[in-house]
Amino acid sequence: MMEIGLNHYLILSTILFTIGLIGVMRRKNLLLLFFATEILLNSVNIAFAAISHFYGDLTGQMFAFFVIAIAASEVAVGLGLLIVWHKRHGTIDLDSLATMRG
Amino acid sequence: MEFYLYLALFAPLAGSLFAALFGASPKTLIAGLVPSLLLLTSFVSSTILLVHILGGGAPIQVEMMTWMATGDLYIPFGFIVDQVSVTMMMVVTVVSTVVHFYSIGYMDHDKGFNRFFSYLSAFVFSMMVLVMSDNFAGLFIGWEGVGLCSWLLIGFWYHKESATWAANEAFIMNRIADLGMLIGIFLVYWNTGTLQYAEAFALMPELPTDILVLMGIFLFIGAMGKSAQFPLHTWLADAMEGPTPVSALIHAATMVTAGVYLVVRANPLYDLIPNVGLFIASLGAFVALFAASMALVNRDMKRIIAYSTLSQLGYMFVAAGLGAYWVALFHLMAHAFFKALLFLGAGNVMHAMHDELDPFKMGGLKKPMKWTFIMMTVASVALAGIYPLAGFFSKDLILEVAMIEHHYIIYSVLLFTAGMTAFYSFRLVALIFHGEERYKLFGVHPHEAYKFMLIAMAPLLILAVIAGSFKMTYFEMVTAVLPATEYHVHSVVTYWIMTIGTQLFVILAIAFAYKKYANSSVKVPDGTSKMENRLCYKILSNQYYIPYIFEEYLVKPYRELSTVLWKHVDMKIVDATVDGIAGIIYSTGEKTRDMQSGNLSTMLKWMVAGTVGLLSLAVVFGLAVRYSAEIKAILSGLGV
Amino acid sequence: MLDHILSILIFFPALAGVFGFMIQKDSVRAYGLAVATVEFALSLWLWFAFDSNVSGMQFMEQLPLIPAFGINYTLGVDGISLFIIILAAFFTMIGIASLPETKDVKNMIISLLFLQMTMIGVFAALDAIVFYIFWELSLVPMLYIIGAWGGPLRVYASVKFFLYTFAGSLVMLVGMLFMAYFYFQATGVWSFAILEWYRLILPESFQLWLFAAFFVGFAIKVPMFPFHTWLPYAHGQAPTIGSVILAAILLKMGTYAFIRFSLPMFPDASVFFMFPIAILAIIMIIYTAMVAYAQEDIKQVVAYSSVSHMGVIILGTFALNVEGISGSVFLMIAHGVVSGALFLLVGVIYDRRHTKMMNQFGGLAHVMPRYATIFGLMLMASVGMPLTINFVGEFLSLLGFYQQSHVLTILAGTAIVVGAIYMLAAYKKMFFGNVTIEENRNLPDVNKRELLALIPLSIITVWLGVYPNPVLAPINNSVESIVQLMHDKSITEEAKSRIPNLIKGIEITRTSIEEAH
Repeated sequence: MMEIGLNHYLILSTILFTIGLIGVMRRKNLLLLFFATEILLNSVNIAFAAISHFYGDLTGQMFAFFVIAIAASEVAVGLGLLIVWHKRHGTIDLDSLATMRG
Repeated sequence: MEFYLYLALFAPLAGSLFAALFGASPKTLIAGLVPSLLLLTSFVSSTILLVHILGGGAPIQVEMMTWMATGDLYIPFGFIVDQVSVTMMMVVTVVSTVVHFYSIGYMDHDKGFNRFFSYLSAFVFSMMVLVMSDNFAGLFIGWEGVGLCSWLLIGFWYHKESATWAANEAFIMNRIADLGMLIGIFLVYWNTGTLQYAEAFALMPELPTDILVLMGIFLFIGAMGKSAQFPLHTWLADAMEGPTPVSALIHAATMVTAGVYLVVRANPLYDLIPNVGLFIASLGAFVALFAASMALVNRDMKRIIAYSTLSQLGYMFVAAGLGAYWVALFHLMAHAFFKALLFLGAGNVMHAMHDELDPFKMGGLKKPMKWTFIMMTVASVALAGIYPLAGFFSKDLILEVAMIEHHYIIYSVLLFTAGMTAFYSFRLVALIFHGEERYKLFGVHPHEAYKFMLIAMAPLLILAVIAGSFKMTYFEMVTAVLPATEYHVHSVVTYWIMTIGTQLFVILAIAFAYKKYANSSVKVPDGTSKMENRLCYKILSNQYYIPYIFEEYLVKPYRELSTVLWKHVDMKIVDATVDGIAGIIYSTGEKTRDMQSGNLSTMLKWMVAGTVGLLSLAVVFGLAVRYSAEIKAILSGLGV
Repeated sequence: MLDHILSILIFFPALAGVFGFMIQKDSVRAYGLAVATVEFALSLWLWFAFDSNVSGMQFMEQLPLIPAFGINYTLGVDGISLFIIILAAFFTMIGIASLPETKDVKNMIISLLFLQMTMIGVFAALDAIVFYIFWELSLVPMLYIIGAWGGPLRVYASVKFFLYTFAGSLVMLVGMLFMAYFYFQATGVWSFAILEWYRLILPESFQLWLFAAFFVGFAIKVPMFPFHTWLPYAHGQAPTIGSVILAAILLKMGTYAFIRFSLPMFPDASVFFMFPIAILAIIMIIYTAMVAYAQEDIKQVVAYSSVSHMGVIILGTFALNVEGISGSVFLMIAHGVVSGALFLLVGVIYDRRHTKMMNQFGGLAHVMPRYATIFGLMLMASVGMPLTINFVGEFLSLLGFYQQSHVLTILAGTAIVVGAIYMLAAYKKMFFGNVTIEENRNLPDVNKRELLALIPLSIITVWLGVYPNPVLAPINNSVESIVQLMHDKSITEEAKSRIPNLIKGIEITRTSIEEAH
C-alpha cells in the first residue's frame, strides 16, 4: 500500500483548482460560478492544510479557516445580490451583466 | 595723438548716427552735409597722424576697453596706427570724403537720401575699425561690419528685385569666406594663445609649418571672399546694382582691398610659408587674366569697371603673394584713387543718360560732358599704366617683381593682362565719349553733372596723376614694418627694354581700342553680328557660365534639398515617428478597450489568462535562477 | 530681506497671481505690469547685491522638506543662473507690457505670473527634487497659454508639447532617484542636494547610464535633433507671448541643466559622449537651418532658427573648456534676447494682418520703416554680426569647441552661412520689393506699446554686444570653478586631457592680460 504523502494532496488540490478554473471560465450561470469559486477556494484550503500538516506549522491551517470564513461571508453577500438581481431581471445569466462595458 | 586717432575713428560713426536720426524723414541736406564734414575731420586727423608717422614718430597703440575676456582669452578694443594702417586710413578717408561730397549731388533726387548717408558713414567707420584694429578680433568686427554695410548699400534700392538679390548674394558669399577667416582666427588663438597681431606674429616662427600653412590658407579664404577672388568672385559684378558712389567707395577703393590688407598685415605669417604665398600669387595672376577677359566683351559700363577692379585685385595679390607687400599696398593705394575716379565718372554718365548702362547706347558724350570725359580718360590712362600717371609706378612695379622673382609665367600673364586692361578701358572710353551720338536714338538729353560734384572729384584726379611721385617717401615709410625689398632689374638694358616694351604694348592696345570703337560705324549690337555668335564671345559674355553653374548646381539643389528636408524628412520621418509612437500607445488603448467588455465571464477569462501568464513567468524565472550557472555556460559556448 | 531674496523672487509672482483672481478685469493689466516690474526690480537688486568675484553659490537658503530622504528646499544662484533669472523677470515684464488685446486677459496674466514662478524656481533650485518639481510645473501654465490662446491646432500642439517633454523628464526623474540611491550607497545618507552630488565620484559605467537618463530629459527640452518636432508646433500655435517666453526662457532650462547636472556630475561620461552629441548638434545646426529656409511661415522660420542656435549652445557646452561653456551660457542669454525679440516682431505683423505667411507680405520696408529697421537689427544679431549680443556667444562657443575638434568646428561654423541664408531670404521676402498686396499698403508702423518692448531689447542687443563684460565676467568665474571641478573629478585619462586644468591656466591669464596692457 502506498503511503499518502504531501504530493498526493497537492495533486488533488491542483485537480480541484483546474476544475474550478474551468468552471469559472466556462459557466454562464451565476450560481454555478459561485460553485466554481468555492471549488477554487477549497482546493487552496486543501493545499494549505496539507502543507501545514506536513511542515508542522499551524499557520497554514489558520489561513484555511480564514479562507473558509471569508468564503462564507462572500457567499452570503453574493447570494443576496444574486437574488436581488434575479428579482430585477428575471435571469442570472452572465451575459446580461454588461453594464460595466468600457 | 591719441585724440586724433579716436577722432579719425569715431567721426564717421558720429556722422552715421547723426544721419540715422533723420532716417525716416524726407530728404534733409544737413543729413548729408554733417556726415561729409565729419568725414573731412576724420581725413584731417588721419593726415595729422600720417605726418606724425612720416616724421618718424612711433606707432600709436591704444587700448580703449575690454571686449571679451573669458578663460585664457582676452580681447580688447585695441587700435594701432602704424605705417601700414595709416596708409589704409589715408586711402579710406580720402576716397570716402570725396564720395560723400559727391553723393550729396548724386543722391540729390533720391528719397532715401538721409538713409544713404547713414549707411555710407557706417561703412567708413567699419572700414576704419578694420584697418586700425591691433588684433584679429577687431579686424573681424570691421570685416563683418563692412559686409553688413555693403549688404545695406547694394540693396539700397530695395524695391528692385535684382538689387536685393545681389545684396543677399554678396552677403552670403562673404559669409562663406568669413567662415574660413573665423577658423583662421581660432587657429591663431589656440596655437599662440592671443589674438593681438604683435604677440601672435612674434610666436609664429616657433610653430610647426603645417599649422602655419593651415592658418595662412584659412585666413586667405577670408581674404578671397572680401576681395572677390575666384571662385567667390561673382558677387562683385552683381554688386553693381548699388548706387554708383557705393561702387566707387566700397566695391573699388576700400572694402574689396581688405583682403589684400589682411595678407599685407599678416606678412610675418606669409613670409614663413612661401608655398602658400606662391599659391596666392598664382591665383592672383589667374584672376587678373580671368576678370580682364570678361571685361573685354561686357556691355554694362559698371560691370566692366567692376571686372577691371577684380583684375587689379589679382595684381595686388600677385605682389603680396610674392612677398612684395609694400608694392601690393602701393598699388592698392594708387588703384583706389584712379578706380574711384573712374566709377564716379561713370556715375556722372549714368546721371546724364538716365541710368542707362550700355555704352553702345551712348557715344559722342565728350561734347556735353567735357570734364567727365577728361577725368575718365585720365583715370583710364592711369589704369592702363602709362607714364607718368599713378598706375605706371605701381602696376609696372608688380610686373618687375614677378620678373625679378623669376616667375616668368606670372609675368607673362600679367603683361598680357596689362594689354587687355588698356584695351577694355579705352573700349569703354571710346564707346562712351567718342564716335556717333547714338544716344539721340533713345531720346536722351545728356547734361554735365553739378559743378560741386566735379570739384569733389578733383582731388582724386590730382592723386591719380601724381600718386606715383610718392613712391620713394612711401617706401621709406612702410618698410619700417614691411619687408624692405627693393625691386630693381639688375641690368639697365633689360630694365629699359621691359619698360618701353610694356609701354608700347599698352599704347598699341589703346590704339586698337580706339580704332575699333571710336569710329562712326559702331552700332548698337542686336545679337546678329558675327562676333556675337562666336563661341568665345558667348562664353565671355556669360561670365564663363559660372553664375549659371552656381545657380543650377548650388542654389537650386540647396533650395530643393531644404524643401525635401522639411516636407519629407522633418514632417514625414522625424515628426511622424514621434506621432507614430504616440499613435501606437493610443491605438493599443483603443484596441485593448474591448477587453473591458463588462461581461463577467470574458473578464474572468482574462483574469485567468493573466494569472497563468504571471505564474508561468514566475516558473521561468525560478528555473532560470536555479540553473543560471548552466545557462551561462551554454551562452558562453555560443559566443554571446 | 537679502537672505530670502530668492524665495521672494520665486513666490512673489505666484502669490500675486493668486491675488490676481480678485482683481477687477479692467485693472488687471496694470496690476500684472506692476507685479512684474517689482519682480524685475528685485532681480536687478539681486544682480546688484551679487558678488561677481565669488565663483560659488550665493544667497543660499535651506529648509528641510523630507529630512529622512535628504530632500531639502535649497536655493542659490551663481554666475550661470543669475542672468537667466534676470532675463526671465525681464521677459515676463515686457511680455505683459506689450500684451496685445486678447480674450481673457486676466487669466493670461495670471498664467504668466505662475509661469514666472516656475521659471525662476528652476534656475534657483539646488535640490534635485525641487528642481524637478519646478521643471514639471512650468509645463502647466505653458499648456494653458498654448491651449487656450493658441491658433487653430492649439490643442494638438499643447498636448504634444506637454506629453513629449513630460515623457522625457520622467526618465530624468528615474536618473535622479538612481543618483540619490548611489549617493546613499556611497555615504550612507540620502541626499538630493546638487552640491552634495557634485562631490560624488562615480565609476564610468554608472556615469554613462545616468548621463543617458538625464540626457533624455534635457535633450527633449532643448530641443535637440531628433527630439525637436514639438517645438515648431508649439511655436506655430502659441500666442506671441507664449512663443516669446518659450524661446527666451523655457528652452534654456535644457541647456542650463546640462551645465548644472550633466557636466559636473558626470565628467567622464561628458567626454565619452562629447563627439556623438557634437554631431547631433551639428545636424541640428545645418539641418534645421535648411528646414527653416524652406518654411513659408515667418514664425516657423524663427522657430526653426531657434533650434539651429540651440545647436551652437550645445556645442559650446560640450567644448568642456572655459571659453566654450562661458560662450554657451552667454549665448543662452543672447539667444533669449534675440529670439524673444524676433517672436515679438512676428507678433507685431500678425496683429495687423492676422497671417504669418511670407507670401502675404513684401515691400513692408516702404510702409513700416521703423519695424523694418528693428527687424533688420535683430536679423543681424541672429546671424551673428559682431558687436551684437549673439556674436559674443557664438564666437566663444565655436572657439571653445575648436580645441576639441577642428573638422567638427568647421562643419558647425557653417551656422554663420546657413543662418544668413534663411534669415536674409525671409527678410527679402517680407520687407524688400514693392508692396503688392492692397491690405499692406496702409499698415501702421510699430506703436508705442510695442516699442516699449522692442526698444529695450534693441538696446540690450547692442550694449551686450559691444560691452559683454558685466555679464561675461560673473559667468566666467562660475564656469571656471565648474571646469576645475570636472577636471579634478574625472577619472579616465581622456577626460583628464580633454578638460583643461585651470590652476596653472589662471596664472597665465593674469600675466598675459598684464602684458597686453
